[in-house]
Amino acid sequence: MKSIQQQFGEEHLQLKTRRHFLKSCTTGLGGLYLASQTNSLRANDTPNVSPRGFHIPPKAKRVIYLHMIGAPSQLELFDYKPALQKFDGKPCPDEYLKDQRFAFIQGVPKMLGPQFPFKQYGESGAWVSDRLPHFSKVVDKVCFIKSMQTDQFNHGPAQLMVHSGQARVGYPSIGSWVTWGLGSENENLPGFIVLLSGGRLPRVGKALWSGGFLPSAYQGVQCRSKGDPILNVSNPTGVSRQTRRAALDSMRELNSINHAEFGDPETLTRIKQYELAFRMQVAVPQAMNINDEPKYIHEEYGTQPGKESFANNCLLARRLAERGVRFIQLFDWGWDTHGTNKSESLKDGFVNKCKQVDRPMTALLNDLDRRGMLDDTLVVWGGEFGRTSMAENRGGVKTSHVGRDHNPNAFTMWMAGAGVKQGFTYGETDTMGYHVAENGVQIRDFHATMQHVLGIDHKKMVYPFQGLKQKLTGVKAARVVKEILTDV
Amino acid sequence: MIVFLTLLLTLLIGTGIAAGDDTVASGKNKVDFNSDVRPILNQHCVACHGGVKQAADLSFVYEDQALSVIKAGDPDGSEFFSRVTSEDEDQRMPPAEHGRGLNKQETETLRMWIAEGAKWGKHWAFTPPQSTVAPSVTNKEWLKQKIDAFVLQKLEEKKLEPALAATPERWLRRVSLDLIGLPPTPEQTQSFLKSVAEQGDDAYNAEVDRLLGANSFGERWASVWLDAVRYADSKGLGLDARRSIWKYRDWTIRAFNDDMPYDQFTIRQLAGDLLPNHSMDDLVATASQRLTQTCEEGGTDDEMFRVEAVVDRVNTNWQVWQGLSFGCVQCHSHPYDPIRHEEYYKFMAFFNNSVDCDLGSEAPNAAVPIDDKLAQRAIELDRKIHAAVDSHWKSGFEIASDKSKWQPIVEASVKTNNQTKAAINTKARGTEFQTTGTVSKNTTFTIEGKFLKNVDQLTAIRFTGLPSDLEKAKKDSEWGFVVSHFSAELTSSDESKTKLEFAYVIGDEPQPLLNPQLSLNAKNGNGFAAYTRINFPRTAAFVLAKPQIIKPGDRITISIKQNSMALGAFPLVSHRGQLAISSDEAFTNWWSDKTQQKSLANIADLKKQRKAIKSVNTPVMAERPSHISRPTHIFDRGNYLTKTKQVSANVPEFLPELNSAKHQATRLDLANWIASGRNPLTARVAVNRIWAELFGIGIVETQEDFGSSGTAPSHPALLDDLAVRFQTEMKWSMKTLVKEIVLSSTYRQSSKTTTQKLEADPRNRLLAHGPRKRLPAETIRDQTLLIAGLLSPKQFGPPVHPPIPTGLWKPFAGGDKWNTPKTDDPNRYRRSIYTYTKRTIPYPVLASFDAPSREFCAVRRLPSNTPLQALMSLNDATFVESTMALAKRIQASPGELKEQLVFGFQLAVCREPSEKETKVLVSLYKKSVNKKDALAAYANVASVLLNLDEVLTK
Repeated sequence: MKSIQQQFGEEHLQLKTRRHFLKSCTTGLGGLYLASQTNSLRANDTPNVSPRGFHIPPKAKRVIYLHMIGAPSQLELFDYKPALQKFDGKPCPDEYLKDQRFAFIQGVPKMLGPQFPFKQYGESGAWVSDRLPHFSKVVDKVCFIKSMQTDQFNHGPAQLMVHSGQARVGYPSIGSWVTWGLGSENENLPGFIVLLSGGRLPRVGKALWSGGFLPSAYQGVQCRSKGDPILNVSNPTGVSRQTRRAALDSMRELNSINHAEFGDPETLTRIKQYELAFRMQVAVPQAMNINDEPKYIHEEYGTQPGKESFANNCLLARRLAERGVRFIQLFDWGWDTHGTNKSESLKDGFVNKCKQVDRPMTALLNDLDRRGMLDDTLVVWGGEFGRTSMAENRGGVKTSHVGRDHNPNAFTMWMAGAGVKQGFTYGETDTMGYHVAENGVQIRDFHATMQHVLGIDHKKMVYPFQGLKQKLTGVKAARVVKEILTDV
Repeated sequence: MIVFLTLLLTLLIGTGIAAGDDTVASGKNKVDFNSDVRPILNQHCVACHGGVKQAADLSFVYEDQALSVIKAGDPDGSEFFSRVTSEDEDQRMPPAEHGRGLNKQETETLRMWIAEGAKWGKHWAFTPPQSTVAPSVTNKEWLKQKIDAFVLQKLEEKKLEPALAATPERWLRRVSLDLIGLPPTPEQTQSFLKSVAEQGDDAYNAEVDRLLGANSFGERWASVWLDAVRYADSKGLGLDARRSIWKYRDWTIRAFNDDMPYDQFTIRQLAGDLLPNHSMDDLVATASQRLTQTCEEGGTDDEMFRVEAVVDRVNTNWQVWQGLSFGCVQCHSHPYDPIRHEEYYKFMAFFNNSVDCDLGSEAPNAAVPIDDKLAQRAIELDRKIHAAVDSHWKSGFEIASDKSKWQPIVEASVKTNNQTKAAINTKARGTEFQTTGTVSKNTTFTIEGKFLKNVDQLTAIRFTGLPSDLEKAKKDSEWGFVVSHFSAELTSSDESKTKLEFAYVIGDEPQPLLNPQLSLNAKNGNGFAAYTRINFPRTAAFVLAKPQIIKPGDRITISIKQNSMALGAFPLVSHRGQLAISSDEAFTNWWSDKTQQKSLANIADLKKQRKAIKSVNTPVMAERPSHISRPTHIFDRGNYLTKTKQVSANVPEFLPELNSAKHQATRLDLANWIASGRNPLTARVAVNRIWAELFGIGIVETQEDFGSSGTAPSHPALLDDLAVRFQTEMKWSMKTLVKEIVLSSTYRQSSKTTTQKLEADPRNRLLAHGPRKRLPAETIRDQTLLIAGLLSPKQFGPPVHPPIPTGLWKPFAGGDKWNTPKTDDPNRYRRSIYTYTKRTIPYPVLASFDAPSREFCAVRRLPSNTPLQALMSLNDATFVESTMALAKRIQASPGELKEQLVFGFQLAVCREPSEKETKVLVSLYKKSVNKKDALAAYANVASVLLNLDEVLTK
C-alpha cells in the first residue's frame, strides 16, 4: 500500500507530464484522440486501477444536462407552497431576513404567493404548475430534488459553482472532468459538446465549459445549429473534399519522411490527428443535421431546422447521445425573473420561457425512453440557485413587474434516466419554500452523485494543481445522495 | 492492467533519472537527511503528522516538533525510533490501517541517522545555491559552454552519446523561433550559411547577437511572462468587460528588449509605486498586480471579491517568483513544506492595504500617456500635483482634526425622506443619529437642532459617517456611504431662513477615490465618501465661505443626501452619523488665506496641464494612508467571513529574514527581499523557466513547484551554478543567460533521437539530443503570417482584433465589440501578442493550441495534439488567408514549377528540400491543377507546407 504522499507524487508526475499521460491513457485523451489506443477500460474488470473513471460499476454512459441560465423559479414550477399564498403581500417575517445576504432585496420585502395554479400528476403525484402541461405527463419518469442548496447568490459565481464546483473562473467543468475520466465513445466527435439557446451567452461564457487546468483537449466544444456546427469544420470556399484528400496524402508522405529521420513519436500522432479531423468533417455535420428526422419527431419536439432554439438543441442532444458523445450540455438563457421589466416578469417573460422548454424537454425524455436510451443516459435539469419567497424590492423600492430575487438556500432540480429512481421526490423546503426543511443537497453532493452514476468515485478522481489534489467536489466533505439511486 | 504496469515502470525509470543523484550521501558513511530520511518521513509519517493533520500535536514537517520525539545520538532512547520498530501492533507506527510498516532498510537508515546526531536538513531549494567548478568529462572537445560539462557528465555516467550537432540551417531555425518567435527568411538562412563557411563558430555568436537585438525578442518572451502573471485585456468575473491594461503588456515587451535585469524587473512589478521618484514606467509595471479578476455583476459583494483578488495575488506571486504553491496555506499549514497557516496571512498583509477594492472603475488608475515620450513630463506633473494636494490637505486636516474646535448640536432631531428609519442616539456623546433596520436607496437625512449658548458664529460643520458596529467593522468592513449633496440652513426665532454657503470640504485622506468637493455640487451624485466599504469612522469638515453670525434662538437644519448605490444593489447610505459645529475662525482664515488660495489655483493649473496629455487609464498599485490602513487577520480555515488573530506583514520563517527591523515592513521591502541574492528560490526559479522554454522541459520539471513535493532537479549542480552565476557574473541579465544556453553544444545538438535514447530517457531529461517541441500558439500563427508575407511589423498599442469565426463573439457586456480590420489594414495581421485577450471568449487560434485563458498563473503549457488543431490550421480565416498569400508568393516567384515549389518549401521549412520531398510537392501540384483557377494548385501545396509537422515543430 502506498502512502497518500507517494501516490500523490506519482499521480502528479503522471498527470502533469504529457508523454506519460499519453502512455497511460487508455481512456481519456487516448480514447478521444488516439485511434491506436482505444481499448477502453470496461466496468468491473479493472476496478481501482485508473486514478480516473470506473471505480464503481457505472449506470449511466452519458449525461444530457439542461441548464436554465438565470435560475428558474421553483415556486412557480415544482415547489408548491399553499401557505405562501396566504402570506401574499404581507411583510416578510424577520427570521427570514436575519443574517441573510441578498443580491437585491433591501429592507423588509413583501411575501409573494405562487403565481400559477398547481396540480398533482401521475402515479407519483408530483406537484407541477400549469406552466408545464407537457412535462406534467412524464413526471413518473423523473426524480425531483427539492432541497438543492448553494453558497453563491450571484449568477456568475453560482453558475461556475454548479458547473465546476468553484465560484471562480479557471476550474474544469463537470463535462471536462467526466470526459477526462471516461473518454469518449465516438472518436469522430468531441466527447463534450455544448449547445446554447436563448439569445445570449451565459455571463461567464466559455468558463462554464472550460477544461480549467485539465489538458485543453477536454474543454467543451460548442456546436451550433447555425453556421459551421464546429468552428472551422468546413473546408474553405473552393476546396473540395478531393483536393483536401490529396493534400492530406502528400502531408502524410512528407511527415513520414520527417519521422524516419528524427524518430519523434509525436509526428505519427499528428498524422493521425489530421486524418481524424478529415473524418470529423463528415461526422459532425451529419450529427448536427436534423433535416433527416421524421416529421413526427419534429412535431413532438417542436423543432424548426436551421433555427437556434432550445427545441432544436434537445433533438440534437438525443442525436449526439445516440452517437456516443459522453457529455452534452445545454444552456438556455433568460430565466432571471427579477420583475424589473417585462421580459424578467413572472407573468410575462417567464411564461414564454416555460413554453419554449416544456414541449422539447418532455419530448427528449419520451424519445430517449422509446429508444431504450433512458436506461444508460442521465438527464439533468436545473438552474444555478432558487428564487426568494419574497417579491423583489431592489434598492428598497417595489419593482415594476412581478419577480423574485435570488435564493441560494433552496431550489429544485430534477434528474431522469440511468441510475436514479423514477417518480420520486427527495428533500423538502419549509412552508414558505424559502429554506430547506429536510435532506438538503449541496452542489458538491449533487456532483458526487452524478459522478457515482457514471462510475466515478468523486474522492478518487483528482488532479494535482496549485499544490492541492483538486476534485470536482472541492475540499468540503461531499456525499453521494444514495436515497435517490435505484440501487447502491 | 498491463498498461498500468508499463506506466509504473516508465515512472520508476523516469524518477530514477530525476532523483537528485548529485547529493553526497548514497549509502556511504553518513546518512543525509534530505536524500535519505525526508523521503521516508514523507512517505510514511506526514499524512497524519504533517502540515495539515498534526496528530498528537506532532509534525515531521517542522524540525522542532520532530526532534521532540528524537534523542540525537540515541536511537534506542528515542520515542520515534521505538515506535516505528515496535513489535507491538498497538504501538507500531504507522498503524496497519494507514499503510505498511517500515522495512529493515528504512529503519536502519533512521537508526544510523539518529545515531549520527539526527541532523535535520532543509529541503534543497530552501538553502542557498552554490556555484561549482565544471565537472570533469572525457569528451572535452564537445564542451562549448560551462553548462555543457554538467550535461555531458550525466550522459557519460549513463553511457549515452550526445547527438551530432544540428545542421547550421536547422540550428538557425530553432534559435530564431526560440528567440524571436519567427523563422529565418531564405535570405537570412543563406547569409548565415555563408558566414558559417567563412567564420565558423563566430557566425553563431553573431547570429545570436542579431536575434537578441531584434525588437521581436521582447514580443516572443513577453508572452511567456504574461502566461505566468495571467495577463488579459478583460476583467474576468461579472461581465468580463474590457480592462485597459495593455500598457503593461508593452512595458513587458520593452523590459525584455532592454534586457532589464531580473532583480529590477521583479522589484518594479511588485512595488514600483513605492520606489522613491518612480517613473511612469515603474507605475505601469505594478499593473502586474492588477491582473486579478474583478466582479462587476449587480448584487455582488465588493469586499468578497477584493479579498479574492488579494488571495490570488499572493498565490500568483509565490508561484511566479518563488516556484511554490502557497494557495493551500490559505486554509491550513502546508502539507509537506514548512509553511504555517498564519504565515500565509502575514504574507498577505503585504498586499492587503492596497487601495484597489473591486471597483467597476478599476481605481486606482494611472493616466499613462499614449505617447511614451510624454511619460516623463506626465509623471513629473503627477508628482507635483500629488505633493501640492497633500500639503494643502494636510494644513486643513490639521485644523479639522483638532478636537477642541468642535461643539455638539443640541436638542437635535432627525428625519429621512423614505423608508430608512433613523433616530437620535441620546446615549452617544455629541450629536449622533442611527438607523434601524436596513437602509433604502436615495436617503436624505435631515438633522435639526440648536446651538450651545456660547456659540456666536458658525465657521464649519463636521460630518462623521460611522459603521453600525465599530469594533466588528475594523475586521469586516460594511458597505460605505457617499454624501451626494451636503447643505444647511439657519432658522431664526422669527422663522426667517438663511441658506449657508459652503466653500470647501476637508476630507480625512489626501487622495480619496471620490472628490469630496462634489458634495457641494447638488447636480453631481459623488462627493465625500467611504467608497465602497467602511472600516473606520470617516470624517469631513464642511467649511463655510465666511463666518455666519448666530443669534440666540437660531436653529440649524442640515441635509445630507446619500444617493449612490454599489453595483445596482447596495445603497451607499451611512448607518450612523455624527454632527458637530465649529465657531473657530481658524477654518475661515485657512480657507481665505492667500497662500492656500494660491495653492488651489496652482493645483488647478497643474491639473489642466496634465489633462492636456492624452492618456489611457491603467490600473496600478497604490497603498492606503497609514491612518486608515486595512488590518490583516488570519481567516479561520481560509474563510474571509471568520477572522481570528490580527497579524503584521512578514515572510515565512523557513526563508531568510526580511531586512526591515526599523519599521513596519512594506511591499517594497518584500520586493527587495525577493530580488536579493539571499533569497534561495528567486534565481533558481527564473533560470529554470528560461531553461524550460528553450529545452521544452525544466531542470526542475515541475516549474511551478520547487517544494518537497515537486520533482527533484535532473541536474542539481547545474541549476545551482546557473542560479549563482545569473545573479553574479550575469548581473541578472536574461539575454546573457539565453545566449550562453543557445550557444552551448547541448542546445546545438540535432533533435534526432534513437530507440536506445527513447528507452533510456523517453522525455529527454538528460538532453542526449536537441529539443523537439510543438511551437507555442503565438509562434504558430506569427510564423504562418510571416511565411505568407502578411505579418505586420507594427509594435505596441491597444489590442487588435484579427478575424474570428462569425457567431463566436457574443460578449455578455454588449459594448465590447470585436471589429476586425479589413484585409488591407495591417492590424489584421499583427503579432499574436497584440490580440485582444478576453478571458471568457478566448481567441480561438491561440486557445486551440494550448494557450491558457489567463485566469491563473500558468508557468508551463502542456502541448496537446488534437484534430481541432488540424481544423484550425487548415480552415481558419487567418490560415486560409495566409495559404492564399503564400500561394501567390510561390506563383509569382521566378523559375520553373519545380524551382517555385522549392522556394515555397524554403520559405516554410527554412532548408532545401530533398529530391524526394520535391517530388511529393510536384506531384501534389499536378493532382490539384484546376483549369478554371490557376492559383488553386499552388494553394493546395501552400496549405500542405503550412501544416507540415516540421513547420509546426521546432
